[in-house]
Amino acid sequence: MTRIALGSAVLRGTVATALIASLTSTSALGAPPVDLSKWSPEYVRSIAGTQDFDTAADCAKVTPLDYKGRLTFWYQGVFEGDPDLLRQYYKDFFETFRKTYPNIQLEEQALTYNDLLDKFRTALLGNAAPMAVRLQILGGTEFASKGYLQPLKPEDVGYSTEDFWPGAMKAVTWEGVTYGIPTNNETMAFIWNADIFKRAGLDPNKPPATWDDVVKYSKQIHDKLGIAGYGLVARKNAGNTPYRFMPQLWAYGGGVFDEATPNPTYEQVQLDSPQSKAALQASYDMYVRDKSVPVSALTNQQADNQPLFVAGQLGMMISHPSDYNVMLDLQKKATGTDKDKAQTVIDNMRYGLIPTGPDGKRAVVFGGSNIHILKPEYVEGGKVDEPAAKAIICMWTSPEWSLKMAYAGSNPGNLNGFKTKWMKERLDNIKFLDVTTSMLPYGIPFPALPQAPEIMNIIIPDMLQNALTGAMTVDQAADDAAKRVRELMGGL
Amino acid sequence: MTIVTGKAEARRRVQPGRSGALRRIWQHRADYAYVLPAIAVMLIVIAYPIYYTVELSFFKTPPGLQLRDKTFIGLDNYTTILTSQVFWKVTWNTLIWTLGSTFISFVLGFATALALHRDFIGRGVLRAVLIIPWVISAVAASYIWKWIYHSDFGIIGAVLVGLGLADQPPNFIDNVSTVLPSLIVVNIWREFPFAMIMMMAGLQTVPDQLLRAAKVDGANAWQRFWHVTFPHLRNVSVVTMLLLAVANFNSFIIPWIMTGGGPSNASHIWITHIYELAFGRQRWGVASAYSVLLFLTLMTLGYFYVRALSGNERKEGSA
Repeated sequence: MTRIALGSAVLRGTVATALIASLTSTSALGAPPVDLSKWSPEYVRSIAGTQDFDTAADCAKVTPLDYKGRLTFWYQGVFEGDPDLLRQYYKDFFETFRKTYPNIQLEEQALTYNDLLDKFRTALLGNAAPMAVRLQILGGTEFASKGYLQPLKPEDVGYSTEDFWPGAMKAVTWEGVTYGIPTNNETMAFIWNADIFKRAGLDPNKPPATWDDVVKYSKQIHDKLGIAGYGLVARKNAGNTPYRFMPQLWAYGGGVFDEATPNPTYEQVQLDSPQSKAALQASYDMYVRDKSVPVSALTNQQADNQPLFVAGQLGMMISHPSDYNVMLDLQKKATGTDKDKAQTVIDNMRYGLIPTGPDGKRAVVFGGSNIHILKPEYVEGGKVDEPAAKAIICMWTSPEWSLKMAYAGSNPGNLNGFKTKWMKERLDNIKFLDVTTSMLPYGIPFPALPQAPEIMNIIIPDMLQNALTGAMTVDQAADDAAKRVRELMGGL
Repeated sequence: MTIVTGKAEARRRVQPGRSGALRRIWQHRADYAYVLPAIAVMLIVIAYPIYYTVELSFFKTPPGLQLRDKTFIGLDNYTTILTSQVFWKVTWNTLIWTLGSTFISFVLGFATALALHRDFIGRGVLRAVLIIPWVISAVAASYIWKWIYHSDFGIIGAVLVGLGLADQPPNFIDNVSTVLPSLIVVNIWREFPFAMIMMMAGLQTVPDQLLRAAKVDGANAWQRFWHVTFPHLRNVSVVTMLLLAVANFNSFIIPWIMTGGGPSNASHIWITHIYELAFGRQRWGVASAYSVLLFLTLMTLGYFYVRALSGNERKEGSA
């Protein structure tokens, strides 16, 4: 297992001081629960397990526990690429909610990431939406800007805005009004198979430092071993594609707009900049020139890379810490010699920071999900049971459940989740968690624009596919994508 | 069957001044009452959506606005569609998909029906086995075929590499040139049993005595087929091909699940493109205009289908 360097004693001292300061400050006093300026794996370890929370008691202040009502609720649930561990936590959450609020008749529906937006949009057109919904981070501004969502801020369910990541709050804010609460936030990491590295003549404990190295390593693995080097994903209408390509785009200094800058204005389209084209060229080099990535990348999503990785047929990929648990699940299902092969892969699984661009810029998508309440006119029956909706939102965004529901895959939306005993337990149980918490400060949110889902789910994958299939040159594909974004922003 | 009661007959007599059409409606009011619930349901679930789609096709629906904020733009959506490069690419794909799937499914189904029309041991079992692709859910079939075709670890690729017939697994669905033919193969595999069943039913109607008489007259197998069997199957063939063509024009599941229209729009056909425009990109106006064009195309095919059916009825009536 690769760990991030612990830093100097001076840094430890600073962290300890920050910890004391953090522990002595509480949300009640208006100070943030976690000092983000001191963020590091060590800091996260130091605050884990330092505070107890009583979720039922906290939520009772928002909606009395004997409240009688009815709630329809849709959520982005677990899918084939998630570990069994996460399935169990989702099951536990709904059981606990029903026990905590026995008089709320809950009608929940789980939808996969790739289906949720389409189904939710359709339901809204027919005024048949659920009363509350948990959407991917991309969806918040689209539905807020169109007026489908009710204003909703953390204070409405007993928390403080400072309890949540500032970047995540931006994704639920439209024209200065907050329309939702983040449930979880995630940054992915770089995963590699040390055994494959060794056999390909690479240093097994050293991940590629830059994206140019990724291209080089991928070729070396493919040329030496005849297997795929890097797990490129370029499927259309699949969230996995932008989550893997955008870090590359930003690292090279490109972007859709200026979303990678501290104060983005989203005014200038930059997809056709030389930096953006260099990022696209790197994908082209791997797929077309070197043929060092899976041929199936154009129809693949991450769930297709996982079996390849556990079978020892893939050297590197970008994913969550949960992929380690997914590998364990897949290994359990394997039989005969496949089981041993899978164990070898698991033993050689390594996590590191996502590579930088040529100028040392490191970036990752600041992802996650948000929870929202709909306006009554768009809901089936024309009524929203607000206390019931706030009850489930209070529970899901609580320190306890925002941590548990993100147990293996991402991080709690509520920063107080990092202080719970479950975070401490998680740090002991989930391997490689340090790496993804280390990536959080490099997180860049998707553009907080209503057009973001179309840009990320359709235009970016189209650009990749146009370049990788030879339908267009790299320059043409980038120019075409930039033109489409400009047209989209112009209301066409 | 219409039962005319004495009371109804009496009412009919006391309505002297009505025009011909109205009088006929009044005379058959009991019949209309029977079909009224069905007509009402059809108006709600078919006529209204058609009307609304046509209406929406004349409006601009920017993706950043709600549908109620649409603006009237006349025929602009139709102009946008007909002048876009993607439209012609998708139309070409749709034609290849529809004609290729329909014709080959029909030929394969017909050939299989002819083979199964003969008496041999195991014919019943073979019939049942051949119907399996048709009864399997299209969603399940699409996922199965996706894995069969998989460009890195698909079954076909593994077999070819294993037998030494290829160095690398063939790229079926991640290549702009091979993706559409590969999807057509899946569609044919799923559809030919339908053509087979239709043609087997048709073959039952060919009079045996005619075939025997032709044989006595010295006609060989091909002549018996061409001059006796095929003319009897002409109408069922037309109906089968029209039904297949309509189904293929509207076929969504296989291309959407296997490739989502990709890579690089190479397997987008009208129906998947409409879905993406509407639900992925929220261009409801443009998607509606596309849908109207699709509707008109299908209605044309439907017209020929009805004509083929009425042709059959007229023939049967005059026989």
